[in-house]
Amino acid sequence: MSESKAKNLEVKTPFRTWIRSRKIQKRLLIFSFMFLPLFLLLVFTYIPFVKMIQFSFYDMKYLGTRTYVGLKNYIEVFQRPEIFGSLLVSLYYMGGALIQLALALFFATLMVFKVKGEAVFKGAMFFPYLICGIAVGFIFKFFYARGYVLDSILQAFGMRLEDIPMWLQDKSVNNPALVATSIWRYTGQNMILFLGAMMSVDSELYEAAALDGANKWHLFRYIILPSIKSIIVLNLILSISGSLSAFEPPYVITNGQMGTGTYFVIMNRLAHENQKVGLACAMALILLAIIIVCTIAQKLFFKYVFDDGTSDESKAAVRRRKKAEKEQKKLMRNGGVIS
Amino acid sequence: MKSKKLISIALAAVMTLSLSACGGSKGTTSSSSSDVPTIDQINVGTDYKDLTASIKVLTNRTDIVDTTYKKYVEEFQKLYPNITVTYEGITDYEESLTLRLTNGDWGDICNIPTTVDKSEFENYFTPLGDYDTLNGTYNFVTEKTYNKTVYGIPNGGTAGGVAYNKKVWAAAGITTLPKTPDEFLADLKLIKEKTSAVPLYTNFAAGWTMGAWNDYVGIASNGDPDYKNNILLHTKDPFTKNSEMSGPYAVYYTLYNAVADKLVEDDPASSDWESSKRMINNGEIGAMVLGSWSVQQFKEAGNNPDDIGYMPFPISVKGKQYAAAGGNYAYAINKNASSDNQIASMLYMKWLLEDSSIFSDEGSIPALKGSKLPDSLSEFNGVELLSDNPAKEGEENLYDDIRNTAEVLSGDYPVGEVLESALYNNKSLDDLMNEWNQKWTSAQESCGAEINN
Repeated sequence: MSESKAKNLEVKTPFRTWIRSRKIQKRLLIFSFMFLPLFLLLVFTYIPFVKMIQFSFYDMKYLGTRTYVGLKNYIEVFQRPEIFGSLLVSLYYMGGALIQLALALFFATLMVFKVKGEAVFKGAMFFPYLICGIAVGFIFKFFYARGYVLDSILQAFGMRLEDIPMWLQDKSVNNPALVATSIWRYTGQNMILFLGAMMSVDSELYEAAALDGANKWHLFRYIILPSIKSIIVLNLILSISGSLSAFEPPYVITNGQMGTGTYFVIMNRLAHENQKVGLACAMALILLAIIIVCTIAQKLFFKYVFDDGTSDESKAAVRRRKKAEKEQKKLMRNGGVIS
Repeated sequence: MKSKKLISIALAAVMTLSLSACGGSKGTTSSSSSDVPTIDQINVGTDYKDLTASIKVLTNRTDIVDTTYKKYVEEFQKLYPNITVTYEGITDYEESLTLRLTNGDWGDICNIPTTVDKSEFENYFTPLGDYDTLNGTYNFVTEKTYNKTVYGIPNGGTAGGVAYNKKVWAAAGITTLPKTPDEFLADLKLIKEKTSAVPLYTNFAAGWTMGAWNDYVGIASNGDPDYKNNILLHTKDPFTKNSEMSGPYAVYYTLYNAVADKLVEDDPASSDWESSKRMINNGEIGAMVLGSWSVQQFKEAGNNPDDIGYMPFPISVKGKQYAAAGGNYAYAINKNASSDNQIASMLYMKWLLEDSSIFSDEGSIPALKGSKLPDSLSEFNGVELLSDNPAKEGEENLYDDIRNTAEVLSGDYPVGEVLESALYNNKSLDDLMNEWNQKWTSAQESCGAEINN
């Protein structure tokens, strides 16, 4: 009697032991934490993306029937002159991204060394990034309006109203004006990003270099720049895709008219004003393809010019390492005998 | 340890179950509208006195949601204290509503956006009654009718014309209102020479103010109530110039030349709608091309309400001027709401259209037939007020399909193109109109419309 009782007490069901095992508990934990973010990702990113691919093959509006048309939308994208013309406007934004990069590096370098009141400066420069893009658009809409903020400031400096160009109308200045709003918004964030990367550089290196007679520019070029190479490369890749998909400045400030319309603005107009949802989806997918091509091209460029720009070694160090690896391989092949 | 686990599991279960409950209750009461009456059958003030409901109204008038509309709700609740009405103002109305309608849970009453095809009305909105009955009671019901059933009743109507400041025009020495585009342009030139006001303010930056020019392509430019819905879609090359200077060409001719002759504001890209209302009231603007709904807003924007006048659009067809009286945004009821909500919405809608002060407040043509015309149209003597006739059966969507496929007459952007061509002087009006003709023809072909000469 006692034997069977003892047996009952000892034997737990196999499922309960299995689920209490350390391995399964760990997996359960990982799964339950990842479930919610993955679910949201699936519902809000992947499923709409698949749907968009499906929509691009149809001629449809948001409400109503959908007719399958195959590749007609894609052909139409290539036939319309204004769509690829709008990509040229993106070149302005790319130029702006380079200016942004330079400014951010400059300010970050200044802040690496002790600066009085650096918290205030950092906060003030980062602040524009926190403002929502639409709000930034409205701020600058009034900033550039004729006779309003910018014009008043310039007039206080002595310029006459007739000499000041019409910031939103003159085709020679309206795109640079919009790009300037983008630079204003993102420089601070880039600066903080670079600053964080620069903090990882050992400060003794600066002392050593200063002893050897290096000035601030040499410090930047030979110590700081190589250490944060990977962040800069990443930033350049992101800025290319960002400038191709620039939307908020032109949409809010000029509604994409007067020659400031970027690819995204045209896509939005086709989808929502003209209800050509299928065509807009095809445009979006073509943009995705362009961005992928550009990113791959950039990666290849950096790989060959900078010998794998993802690591933080300098070019010479990489070459030395590769040479050493080759030598080792040779040694192993020849069984340890140096030929 | 064990009790902690049990509690956490129980908590998660309770939260999940409560989520499903909130999803379920909306789903199970989506009713058939067979138990909802039609709008001519209910009597406001006497029927359904014990109905309790809470309805939501979506509106584009974000400026008066908390003031005028709240006043209407309070008045309505004197009759029906158990029905609560909340307004939700939406800034980007057309785009937001188009997306919200795809999910059936958007509220109870809305203004039907222009993006909804007539054949889609029965999928989203409660039928309000049949066409022949309601057409005898209300104005402008043709626009939101499909298959002889009315789905939306407009919140009054406006006539198309041009708002102007009487003082500015008098100061420029103009004594008679213009009747042709060239007379109008000559008057604008006089205003520019003799006064310091901006002759014509385009409000280009606001976007929708450009789309307003498309409304004059119908009756105002042709004098024919069949033009917009029945003739234009079958016409070959409708944007060609004609010798009488009427038709669609004349409408855009007015805009193009006003911009080309520098009779508009210096920088259309930085125009501001809200401050332009004050400017026209103060005599800093001569004229603006907008519907008669704008007159009331201009009068209230400053200290000179009597200076605001409204003239018919300066096109004469065989010597006579015409104006299109069209319905404003139309109220419609959500088909997928509960039947109590639908009935409550119908009561509120009927009260607004028949008993409230909304039309005198907005200065629009009232919804009920036989009501007095608003003061804003007092200068339309000798002008014939016509309404667009409905499209032929089976062709209700064709006009919208053609204009969206062609991307002409489709909204703000094409009219913006007219303005830009004139501003940068990079395209002549004739070239642009020829392009539009070509786009129109290829759209007619791809939508399968007959082309008549």
